Parts: sequence; C-alpha cells; structure tokens
Amino acid sequence: MNLPATTSPPAALVSAFQSLAEEWKAGTAFLSSTTAMIEHPSYRAIIALGPPVVPLILRDLEKEPAYWFAALRAITGEDPAPPEARGNFRAIADAWLVWGRSRGLLGV
Amino acid sequence: MTAADYRVTSSATWDYNCIAWAAGVTRGWWWPVPHDCDWPAAVSRQETIDAFLAAFATLGYTPCAGADREPGMEKIALYAREGVPTHAARQLPGGGWSSKLGPNVDIEYATLEAIGGGVYGEPIAVLSRPMPSADSPGT
Repeated sequence: MNLPATTSPPAALVSAFQSLAEEWKAGTAFLSSTTAMIEHPSYRAIIALGPPVVPLILRDLEKEPAYWFAALRAITGEDPAPPEARGNFRAIADAWLVWGRSRGLLGV
Repeated sequence: MTAADYRVTSSATWDYNCIAWAAGVTRGWWWPVPHDCDWPAAVSRQETIDAFLAAFATLGYTPCAGADREPGMEKIALYAREGVPTHAARQLPGGGWSSKLGPNVDIEYATLEAIGGGVYGEPIAVLSRPMPSADSPGT
C-alpha cells in the first residue's frame, strides 16, 4: 500500500479530518463500546479518506491515545501492536507512532 | 441527569473504561471486541449479556436480588440497550454508585436510574460478591 510522504497534507483533507474527528469524539465521548466507536458514521468516513489521512490520525494519536487503531488497521492493513499491549491504549498508540515514524509519516 | 445529580471524581482518560472500572481495574480497556481490548481469557468475546455476566463471574460476581446496599457485599450493575451491553457501574460504600463514562471522567451519583436512558439504556442486572476481608489471601 502506498502511504503518503511527509509533505503537508492538503488543507481540504486536514479540514475534513478535523471536522470528522471532532464529530466522532463528541458522538462517542461517553461510550465504552469500541464497536460503537468503530461503527460511528464519522469514523467510517475517516476510514474512507484512505491512506492520505494516516499521518493526520497519527498526529492525533500523539496528543491522546484515542481509539484510532481499528481505523489504522483498516486503512493500512497492518497491526504493529504486540499482543501483550491488549487493552493498553497508550502502548498500542506508541506502537503505531513508532510504526509511523519508521515510515516517515511523522516528525522525529 | 442534571449537574446536581452527580459529582465528577476524576479526569478524563483513555486508560480504562466503565467495564474495567466496575471490575476494579484502572489500567486496561475491557470490551470483548476487537482483539486489542482486554477481556477475560476464558470468556467468549461476544457483545452479549451472557458474555458480560460471565466476565464478571470470573471475578466472583453473581446475580443478586437488587441494588440496595448489603453489608459485606460488593455490587456492580450492568446496563444494556436493545439487548446489547453498554455500561457497568460500581456501588460505593455509602450505597451510591460510581461510573467511568467511556474515555471521559468518573462520576458518582445516587441511583442506577440516574444514568439510565439515553446511550446506556437501562440497568438490566445487579451482581454481587462478598467483600474481601482483611484476612483474605492477597489483601
């Protein structure tokens, strides 16, 4: 899968992601169900943005370990989190950030 | 629920969710699916009431008659909406209840019905187990 190089993403993509991410976080702010998080229309819309949105998701993960992991797996086809990190969203987020930096998708 | 009906008792965090909080855990997101969430190894990873009851059964919780405070017993309550589990709460020593609201804050409130309706649905089961004594192994 071709992932975008670390050039600045288009402003329209940034705007779309920010808007959808805000909608998703607001719509799932009190939910424990990861199923409900994944099935939220805004989450699905972010997945539909495809590989160009991966750096933006990773940048959001740098701020907080929100449950972006299913989206990243769906878009990239990869899963860098070790099994022992199960349930530990900080550790899973860290695994994805290491994965992203190794591919030049995030600043060092 | 109005602001007068609850008290915030923590900061927001993704470190744990309501099911983990009810289970007494503050490091780990408990949910049966997907595979990157915590769930008791011996329990089916299904979003069913039976699976959630089985998960809490691994901690010694069994269904009990009601939500009233019983001396010597710890209680948790499971919520569901349209037959699907949504939330769990932990009873406080004074008889009120405590919940972790997804990735949001913990709150304390007086009755199970205070957070009923809306996204959580209704409380559908109350479970109890004996409170560990000071002499219990591991305490």
